[in-house]
Formats: sequence, structure tokens, C-alpha cells
Amino acid sequence: MYDSYLSRIFGDQADKFRESKVLMVGAGGIGCELLKDLLLMNYGEIHILDLDTIDLSNLNRQFLFRQKDIKQSKALTAQKAVESFNHNSKLVAHHGNIMDTNMFPLSFFKQFNIIFNALDNLEARFYVNKIALFTKIPLIESGTSGLKGQVQPIYPYQTECFACIPKEQPKSFPVCTIRSTPSKPIHCITWAKNFLFPQLFGEDASEQDKLKPQDVDSDNKAEIEALLKESNELLDLKALVMNAVPEDDSYVYKIIAKIFKDDIERLLLIETLWTTREKPTPLEFEETKAQTFDGQRLWTAAENVAVFVDSTHKIAQRLKTGPVDFDKDDEDTLDFVVSAANLRSHVFHIPLKTKFEIKQIAGNIIPAVATTNAIMAGFSALSSIHAFYNTVEEKVKHSKMVYDSNQPARFVNSSGLAPRNNRCPACSVTRGIITLDLSQLTVNDIREAIIAKYGYSDDIGIADGSRLLYDYDFDDNLETSLDKVCAYGDVLFITDADEELDSLELFIDRGDALELPAFTLPKAVKNTDTPEDEDDEDDFALEGEVIDLDGPKRKAEDEKEPAAKKRKLDASAEIEIVEL
Amino acid sequence: MLPVKASDGSLDLLNWIAGIPGKSNTLWDHATYPLTIAFPEEYPAKPPKVKFPAGFYHPNVYPSGTVCLSILNEEQDWRPAISLKQILLGVQELLNTPNPDSPAQEPAWRLFTKDRLAYEKKVREQTKRYANPDK
Repeated sequence: MYDSYLSRIFGDQADKFRESKVLMVGAGGIGCELLKDLLLMNYGEIHILDLDTIDLSNLNRQFLFRQKDIKQSKALTAQKAVESFNHNSKLVAHHGNIMDTNMFPLSFFKQFNIIFNALDNLEARFYVNKIALFTKIPLIESGTSGLKGQVQPIYPYQTECFACIPKEQPKSFPVCTIRSTPSKPIHCITWAKNFLFPQLFGEDASEQDKLKPQDVDSDNKAEIEALLKESNELLDLKALVMNAVPEDDSYVYKIIAKIFKDDIERLLLIETLWTTREKPTPLEFEETKAQTFDGQRLWTAAENVAVFVDSTHKIAQRLKTGPVDFDKDDEDTLDFVVSAANLRSHVFHIPLKTKFEIKQIAGNIIPAVATTNAIMAGFSALSSIHAFYNTVEEKVKHSKMVYDSNQPARFVNSSGLAPRNNRCPACSVTRGIITLDLSQLTVNDIREAIIAKYGYSDDIGIADGSRLLYDYDFDDNLETSLDKVCAYGDVLFITDADEELDSLELFIDRGDALELPAFTLPKAVKNTDTPEDEDDEDDFALEGEVIDLDGPKRKAEDEKEPAAKKRKLDASAEIEIVEL
Repeated sequence: MLPVKASDGSLDLLNWIAGIPGKSNTLWDHATYPLTIAFPEEYPAKPPKVKFPAGFYHPNVYPSGTVCLSILNEEQDWRPAISLKQILLGVQELLNTPNPDSPAQEPAWRLFTKDRLAYEKKVREQTKRYANPDK
């Protein structure tokens, strides 16, 4: 009966779902809905992948999870939850990070006919997009934010990929605003979470960073001391935290005095900072009982002091058994950020915020609406039917990008898929999979093999991600065994030293013998309207220094920026230093 | 300028070291000031972080050594098309033309605005520490 219902909707294609294996990346808001939809479509085998565990705050919309499942794996719980559904699909759950190449090597992905993304972050989306490009598997991308949502089917190299249109990166604030001149609550929250928290409780600040008297060359003793003091005081505070004993929290008052009083007094000495701004007032405070309060109401300055002492002392004790990172759901770390941000706001005459409000801001909480997730998951599942047409042309022709709008007359909109962007940093690059045994080959072995295979006229540069392994004036590693500098799952970036052939990306996969993908590399696209920098480089290489400005990063930069804009900037010989 | 060599022998293209020569006929002449340039993963969407050694004496350098320059600031004048060369030239220019309206450290800022002779003395002392070897 079920089968006849499916064939009435999908026709002959219903049989193809039965024969297919699909991967669903993410079992959260969209994932729970999508898993139900994929089961209804009767897919033969569905793999569920998620690295996360279930939180209380998930339960209002992630309907496969219940209170008793909190702290359990999302992937495994989702699989268990649908066991009782009336379905015929084989289910496989993976509790792990999609970007873990040991757990999920390229061969893992190759078994699937379609990949569904139901992710909540850009990094993993870019990663799966890259995997789809290497394996040429259709990818159905989806996402929601509040009432807005969209579904984008991606047919690698045929249609726009996830990287074809630059994505807006979250903004960061200028260091000067955060460190010296905050004017909004968000500045103080950022300071507390991203500057003070790691300074006091992070692992990276070490004795090595400490400035020593011999580092400062001056005959003025007072000057030396002032300079040393300023840069070493924070490290001294960290030492206080590290040496804290459970029965004594008095050291926290030294921390408060330094951060909210002494440092502010020092800032006040720099008068020009305050000609156009209201002067901060150094904190006056009294020792009090360490405690925390109801998070829904606004705390007074004195109450924030009590919470600061309480949370700092608790985190200091926890550091003895392992590192502590900020987590919005970790009450101690949240209390610390709330009280530190509020005390700083108080000092700078900025309105204070409640713990509830700060949790939303510091935890980057984006409102999630169950209905939007359900609608977009539905379109995501339905979009997969187009992947079963016989030809790529038909698949692309029938596929649609789906998104919603706030116009009541037409809530759902769709458009045909755009062709790929020729300047896309991800899908305009020639790429393939190289199989080899890393322990058996040196850097020079693959260098020679690549030069011979693709007909480079002279030499190449080889980088593994952001690490340069070889180029014509860096040959230290030629005889180094590849397993010392590369890992399976890494991507090698190959550039032509003569810039005649296009760049190449090779995904390293495990194999017994060296095998390079077969294709003809296109000629490099010369940007003729980009002015050459080489002419004036001699003027710039001051004091006999070697200056190489044309690394792979620079190339990526050229590709992203329209030539006209670049020329305009290059033409301005002098850089205007507007504000520091 | 060069990328930093990583422990496995490769060159780390996200972390570079450079030397900024002081401009001729300025207080900063005859010395080369060490600089580290750290590129974030999002480069060139986000600017690199440029640092002198901790405690570097300059009104617009933080005690940690971080240089606060408008072209290195995402919210101000950073553009993905700004080249490394422009950054280095900008920092070199900044050495002798500090901006007193945007102080980053108190000692150098105070002397620069209140006692120019004492400031110049401190800069010369620092220049000696980073002096170029005799040719």
C-alpha cells in the first residue's frame, strides 16, 4: 500500500529511491525533520551523521528527542527514535565530526548517491561542499534562520556551488574599541568572553610571553618598571588563578582591583581618548559574599562583584582538573562573562544587561523556528528526486533553488539553478584525487610524478593547505618522507612556477600505488588588466631583504577581487593613514 | 620577509616574519624592526594581525606589540585587495608619523605629546637595539 502511494506521487522514480544510499549530515533542527521525510520517501539506506549531543534547549523543535535523551548522541538517538516508524530503510548512525578524515575518509563518501546537508555552521558546509566537488556527488544544501530558510541543490561543476557566492563572515570589532574605548554592551561582552576569559583561564599565555628586564633597553629605572608592569600584570593575575586554593577567594579582589580600577586609571591618563568620549569611572567596591543570583533580573554593581568572585573562584578550582572553555550552557563560565561584562559596562557608563540577555549575545543564539525547519526539510527531501533523471542536463533543468519570503501572497519562491561562477575559489579549480602510500614516497617523488603527468614545463610549488612543502627557492624538504608533512585527507595545492598551467588541487587518499587523476590541465587565465607589481619591487626590497609577495594566498586574493577595484587601490601610491 | 618554518619542516603560509627598515633621515633610520604577520583562515576577507615584539616603544603599538592601523582594521579601511606590500609600507610610514589621537600605549603616547625630546631619546635607544649590522 505504501509503495503504491509512493509510485502514485513519484512514478517510476520511487523504485530508484529504494536502490539508493544517502547521507544526512546533521541531525538537529532540520535533520530531525529531514530524516522523517527521507524515511517517507523510502530511501534504501540512510546514514545519519552528527557530532553533537542533545541539549535541553533542542527539545522544543527537534521532535525525535525527549528529556531522557539529554547529553546523548544526536545521531544515535535519532536512529533509535525512528525505529518504531513504519519504514523499510536501513539506518546507519555515526557519532562523529564530518571533518574527521580518519573516521570519514573520502572512500566513506563515495558510497552515497546523494548528500543532504542539515548543518548549523559555515565551516562544515564549506567542507562538505569541497567533498561533493571531489567526489562529484549531488549535494542538497539547506539552512534556516528564524522565519527565513532556503534549499540549494548543488550539482558539482554544473551549478553554483556553496562557495560560488562569497558568504558574509561574522563581524569582529576593532581591537581599540574592545580594549580601550567600549561604547556598547556588546563591546564589553566581547571583551569579557574573547579577551579576559582566555587571558585568565586560557592555556596559551605562558611564562615565555613575559617581558624581562633585559628585553627593555633604557637607563630610566621607573620607565622600565612601568613598561614591564603593564605587559606582565595580566600574566601575574593568571598565576593568582592557577595557584588558588579552595578555602581562600581573596585573590579575586586583587584581580578586580587591577582590571576595573588600576587599568582604568591608567587609561584615564591618556587624555586625548576622553576629549570626545565620556570618561570611565574606576570601580569602587567592597568585599562581599561570593554568590550568584536570578538571571532574569538586572544585577547591581555590587551583585556583579559577588558573582565575579563566585564564578572566578569556581573556574579556578576546575582548572586543576583540566582546561575550561567558555560555553553558554556552563553556568560558571556564563556567570563570569556576565559579571565581567557588566562591571566593565558600569565603569564605562554603558547600560548593564541581564544574564538572560547576555547568554543570547555571548552564545550567538539564533532563533530557530520549528515550522521553518519542517518546510525547508520537506523541500530538501523533494529536491532529491531531480537527482534521478538520466542526464546531468535534465537534473539541472528540473532542479530549483527554494526560499521563503515574508510576502503573504507568495510565501515560497523558487528559481532555476545558476551556473557555476568562473571565479569561484572552490569549483573553478581543477581538482582530483591522488591515491598513494604516504610512508613510501618523498616530496620529490610526487613532485616529479606531477610534473611528468601534467606536462609542467619547468617546476611547481606544492602546498598542503596553508603549509608550503616545496617551491623553487624552498627545497629543504625534497627528500622528506611524505608521511612527515602530509596526512590522508589533506589537500595539496599545486602551482606552476611559470604560471602557464592552471592551479591544481589534489585530495590525498590512501592507496598502495601512486595514482594521479587523468585530465588535461587548462592554461592559466592571465589577468591582463591587472597591473604588474614586479616593476617597482626593487624599490621595495629594502636592506637586501627577499620579498615574495606572490604566494598562493595572493593568488586567491586576485581571484576574489574585481580587477578594476584592485587597480584603483594600486594606483594610490601613498597609503592614507586615517585613524590608528 | 619569510613564512615561519613549522616543526615538521614545512613553511607556514599563515604566519610570516618580516623586518621593517626605518625610513632614511628619520629617527628610526639605520635599524630593522622585527614584525610578525598572522593571517586568519578567512584572509583576505579578514585582515592579517601585525605585531612588533611585546613592549615595542611606539604610541600606536599596544603593550602586547599589536599594531592598531586603520588599514588592518576590518571595521575601518581593510579591503581584501590591500596587498602585503601596502601593509608593510603602511607600518613603515607609521613609525615616524604616529597618530596621537589613537594611543595604544601610555608611556610612548605621554612622552610623544608632552615631552618630545624625551620621546626621541627613547626611540633612539630602541633604534640602537634593532640597529643594522655595520656594512
